[in-house]
Amino acid sequence: MIRNFLKLTTFLRHTKIFMCTAVLSAITLTTPAWAARDEVAEAFVDSLASQAIEILGREDFAPADREAAFRVLFTGNMDVKRIGIFALGQYARTPTAEEKAAYLTLVEDFIVKVYASRLSDYTDQNFVILNSQPKGSKNQEVIVSSQIEFETGRDPVPVEWWLLKSDDGLKVFDVKVLGIWMAQEQRSSFISVIRNNNGNFGALLGHIEAQIGEATQEIESKLTDAEEPTTTDDS
Amino acid sequence: MKNESGVGFIRLGITGLSLAFLLAGCATRPDMGDTAAIAAYEEANDPIEPLNRYFFELNNFLDIVILRPSAEIYDGVLPSIAKDGIRNFLDNLRSPVILANDLLQGEWDRAGTTTSRFGINTTAGVLGLGDPATGWGYQRHGEDFGQTLGVYGVSEGPYFFAPLLGPAPPRDLAGFGVDMFFDPLTYIFWDDGYTVPVTRFVVNGIDLRARNLDTLDEIERTSIDYYAAIRSLYRQSRVDEIQNGVTDVDALPDISNINFSSEN
Repeated sequence: MIRNFLKLTTFLRHTKIFMCTAVLSAITLTTPAWAARDEVAEAFVDSLASQAIEILGREDFAPADREAAFRVLFTGNMDVKRIGIFALGQYARTPTAEEKAAYLTLVEDFIVKVYASRLSDYTDQNFVILNSQPKGSKNQEVIVSSQIEFETGRDPVPVEWWLLKSDDGLKVFDVKVLGIWMAQEQRSSFISVIRNNNGNFGALLGHIEAQIGEATQEIESKLTDAEEPTTTDDS
Repeated sequence: MKNESGVGFIRLGITGLSLAFLLAGCATRPDMGDTAAIAAYEEANDPIEPLNRYFFELNNFLDIVILRPSAEIYDGVLPSIAKDGIRNFLDNLRSPVILANDLLQGEWDRAGTTTSRFGINTTAGVLGLGDPATGWGYQRHGEDFGQTLGVYGVSEGPYFFAPLLGPAPPRDLAGFGVDMFFDPLTYIFWDDGYTVPVTRFVVNGIDLRARNLDTLDEIERTSIDYYAAIRSLYRQSRVDEIQNGVTDVDALPDISNINFSSEN
């Protein structure tokens, strides 16, 4: 393989085509990839993910403190309102002003807990940014691809970040872990609950409230035995 | 004789299923005036939701009484080297089906990977119990005929949750059937009753369940509607598998103008 390559390069050097083709192919092959990448967005994700992993993995903090620190980081960098409205589909037009306010408070609490719970599986691992590409025609959205790598030889977990540019900087709209966009999963459940309760928005609020309790227990059990391997069942 | 009883069994199953469809009926279509409910009904694409939810509950019940306890025993008793051996062996047995679908999708590189994996793992990996191929740069990937149909633009169809099998919308259910024809084991054990395929199905199920004990618990505790969450997870992971893990940004919804009065 290498010998053939050497023969080929010697041949090309003699014909003087080599340099030209090399320069040309370097331009045509690599420029589009560089042009499409968004370094600001990649740096944003890198910093956010490292902070999240660091906070959730801090063993000198009590689980409740870790969750509180994660909440500050999360609400500062996620577009929670947009996620909340997206998760309602066309039912977004149905709640009253009080229901909207109650919903946004509950949904923030709920989403923080869901993310904290799922991300705490990945503390103490290696996080690597792979690529980024623009989404949408307005040049306001970016998808950043990354992966979490494990020293144990386990397959890396692909993670994608859907970012929105706004006046106050970049915000995360959604995260895709192992092929699943979290906001789309929430939307499926939220819409289903409202529809199966004949359009009663209050039923959704009740369900979220109840589930926040369950999710709290889940996070506590995870953060408490975060040091132990997670191969065994914890119930 | 055996084949006849097999056909009879399938016929009985089909009759039972059609009866169940008739009896349980369909999800009630919302009023034409209720646009939000109509949109929700269409987005869910789950016209037999009540029946699906019934099968879902049935599977959860079977999970609690049989599958989960077996998976916990399997997980607790066997050392991880044995579990990995079983997983590798089952994965290797599936290679012909993966290869057939790689080729049908025109994925020549992936077909090469599948062939190399099968060759390496069957020999150096001792009949597929080990997986040295991954270390040599041939990563495992899955394929099935449902995905092949998806690559050629066949849509998934309305959601169906099958007893025992789990989520199996028409495209993937058909794919499951076609994959059996691609599987050499089907022909080798054609006249030998059901011992080998059933054993494989059961061991595969227990192993997969054991590997997802924590994940499924977590999803159940963090979902306000477990059934709808699983439906979304299934559909999303199928899209991801069909695209071989590459996100199609153009297929994602437009979220740039979302507010409480918009039709998002």
